[in-house]
Amino acid sequence: MRLIIGLMFLFFTVAKGEIKVVTTYPYIASITKEIVKEKGKVESLAEGIFDPHFVVPKPSLTIKLRDADLLVINGAGLEVGWLPPLLNQANNLKINPSSVGFLDLSNLVNLIDKPENTSRAYGDIHPEGNPHFHLNPNNIPILADAITQKLCRLDQYNCQYYKNNYSSFKERWDSKIKEWDVRMSPLRGKKFIQYHKLFDYFLLRYGLKSVGTLELLPGIPPNAKHVDSLIDLVRNEKVDRVLQDVYHPQKPANFISEKTGVRITILPHDVGAVPEAKDIYSLFDEIVKRFTQ
Amino acid sequence: MKKLILMGLLTLSLTTYASEIEQLKEELKRQQEIIDQLHQKVKQLQGQQEIAEKAREKLKKLHQSPIDKILSNPFSQPKFLPDLSLILDFSYVSRNLTDKTYREVMIPGFNHGFFYSHEDHGHSSPYNAERGFNLNYGELYLTHAVDPYFDLVGIFHLSERGFEIEEGYFRTRGMPANLQIKGGKFYSKFGRLNQFHHHYWDFVDAPLVYRAAFGEHNLLEKGAQITWLAPTPFYLLLGVEAFQGDNEYNFNRNGFIVNTKKDGTGTDIEVPDTKKPNLYTFFVKPSFDIGRTSILWGLSYAEGKTRINHLEDQDSPHAFAGNTKIYGLDLTVRYTLDSYRHITWQSEYIQRDVKGTGFGYNNLDNLVRPNLQREQSGFYSQVVYKFAPRWRAGARYDLINKNDTFINGVNRNLPDNLYRYSAMIDFLPSEFSRIRIQYNYDKSLFLQDGTSFERKTNHEIILQFNIAIGAHGAHSF
Repeated sequence: MRLIIGLMFLFFTVAKGEIKVVTTYPYIASITKEIVKEKGKVESLAEGIFDPHFVVPKPSLTIKLRDADLLVINGAGLEVGWLPPLLNQANNLKINPSSVGFLDLSNLVNLIDKPENTSRAYGDIHPEGNPHFHLNPNNIPILADAITQKLCRLDQYNCQYYKNNYSSFKERWDSKIKEWDVRMSPLRGKKFIQYHKLFDYFLLRYGLKSVGTLELLPGIPPNAKHVDSLIDLVRNEKVDRVLQDVYHPQKPANFISEKTGVRITILPHDVGAVPEAKDIYSLFDEIVKRFTQ
Repeated sequence: MKKLILMGLLTLSLTTYASEIEQLKEELKRQQEIIDQLHQKVKQLQGQQEIAEKAREKLKKLHQSPIDKILSNPFSQPKFLPDLSLILDFSYVSRNLTDKTYREVMIPGFNHGFFYSHEDHGHSSPYNAERGFNLNYGELYLTHAVDPYFDLVGIFHLSERGFEIEEGYFRTRGMPANLQIKGGKFYSKFGRLNQFHHHYWDFVDAPLVYRAAFGEHNLLEKGAQITWLAPTPFYLLLGVEAFQGDNEYNFNRNGFIVNTKKDGTGTDIEVPDTKKPNLYTFFVKPSFDIGRTSILWGLSYAEGKTRINHLEDQDSPHAFAGNTKIYGLDLTVRYTLDSYRHITWQSEYIQRDVKGTGFGYNNLDNLVRPNLQREQSGFYSQVVYKFAPRWRAGARYDLINKNDTFINGVNRNLPDNLYRYSAMIDFLPSEFSRIRIQYNYDKSLFLQDGTSFERKTNHEIILQFNIAIGAHGAHSF
């Protein structure tokens, strides 16, 4: 009996060791690190330099999922093209969508552009709405709070620690928001075009207008006719700049810029997309900096 | 003085009057408010009355109409509809071999041609069988979680001639110790390409060695699979499978009766069914990354008893009973340039050893039972380059480098050095549609004349349309 208790104790101490969190995207990993700090290991499956819609489901990612205690995903259809086969191969019952160790962040925020009707004839649209909600800075503490609650649920022993980390994160984040608000305010009302509807939440938050996308339809690259119509749009609407992400080809933006003189600003969409965006703070710092330059 | 008093009284009375007027005004205001409130209430009540009346009318109508006209759907479960998708494969073929010749050519030592099927195997003609247009298949996918414990996958192969359960299996969702169990009918995880469906292949057709060794359906079997993801710091998948034995080229389980005389006047010899299940496989698949390069390789082994029954042949009835061992070695290397560009190099080597007894008839129509042995091997190596967001190009080299058949220890000297070159370009308008053009220079096909073989060079160009609708799950690496 004593042996069994001893073994169980050993098992729990080993299992308790440190919590392993896997996130689909680097920005989630960065938020989670702010809460977990040194009490666990946090890893992201995707890299910030690549298109978040097309992550290669390489077998090495299966290993990260196999060992995870908690999986935090963006949701809203962003992972549908790559995560399911990895989850299936990982055989980890702790992080299945029906398990405690699974968190879908898209359930916590209001999604914009939720289409009433969908058809693939309109391109690769997300029926759930625009999934790039993390670029609204107001959403970040909501996500951090949910992650904190999940961590508390899985690791009650360190719950107070996580809560304290959340409080200090929230405090720092709120002061950062004030700073960004001041810096972004002169841009209110300006018009932009972007490759994909990647920055809509950010634009909406700061009263900026997205008047068009370089891609013809979601997931469908531009054709010559569409580029011509964008050139007219840039001229007629007095578009301030073209917002270019780091992973789509820059050729169409360059062409429009040559024809109209409109500025191109390359914006990071996630942690790691550009070297300056090292964590969730510097991601927004860098976006604000590039907008205001 | 009087005047003063009068004035004083007057002002006093006036002020009292004034205050009274104020009071009256307020009173009026209050009453007005009460009247307004009452008005609103009346309106509300009128509204309610109207609603009540409408409801009453509706109820009246309901009472007037027959009871079975009330529409109700309390048990509908649209949220539980499984993921459903349909894939259509359509092609245009241009080939220098006539359709008649293409029906007759064979890969010596492996098959009697792609159209040859002695058992009831549904679609007996291969894909892209004819010059001109071919509707290769419609494939219907249904998949969903059953409950917290299982997923169910059904893949139905629809051709103009029939309906077939291509795959139908359940899979565990959360077994402990990183184990997974799969049961039903499914593609074996032997090798690299075998587990994938035709629509996910990088070329229109299977590699030569696959087509030769496994036939048109690859290793598609009924049985069970257990895989284990080892707790190693790199990816390491181990698995075993047990199958009933459906592959007519290697692991057919059904016995046969052979007569000692070709005309059937002799005595019958019975070759019994194999043990069931008949086919066992084992595989190991490690994978690791070096920077932006992912490497996946694999070792596979399949073993089972063999029954080949071609006794219905008009010209030369023959049969075989023995056992087959197949070894596989595969390597896939993928280098990622950016989100939309990558290069994948994939190669597989397959070796087949067959041992047993052949059954045939000599010139006097008497049964002979020689010792028959085959040692065969081949490989393919392919490179596919996704060079633009919607474009891919690829090249493949196929070779069967060893094709030895020994009858009573004597090599029949069947043609070896069977090879093929293929090149393809595909355009993907979206993730759901693919248009591909492929050219094959094929030196693996022969016409048989008695014991001699004549090589028939095959040039073919295939334009393939592979189109999908619905909710189709993501593919694995």
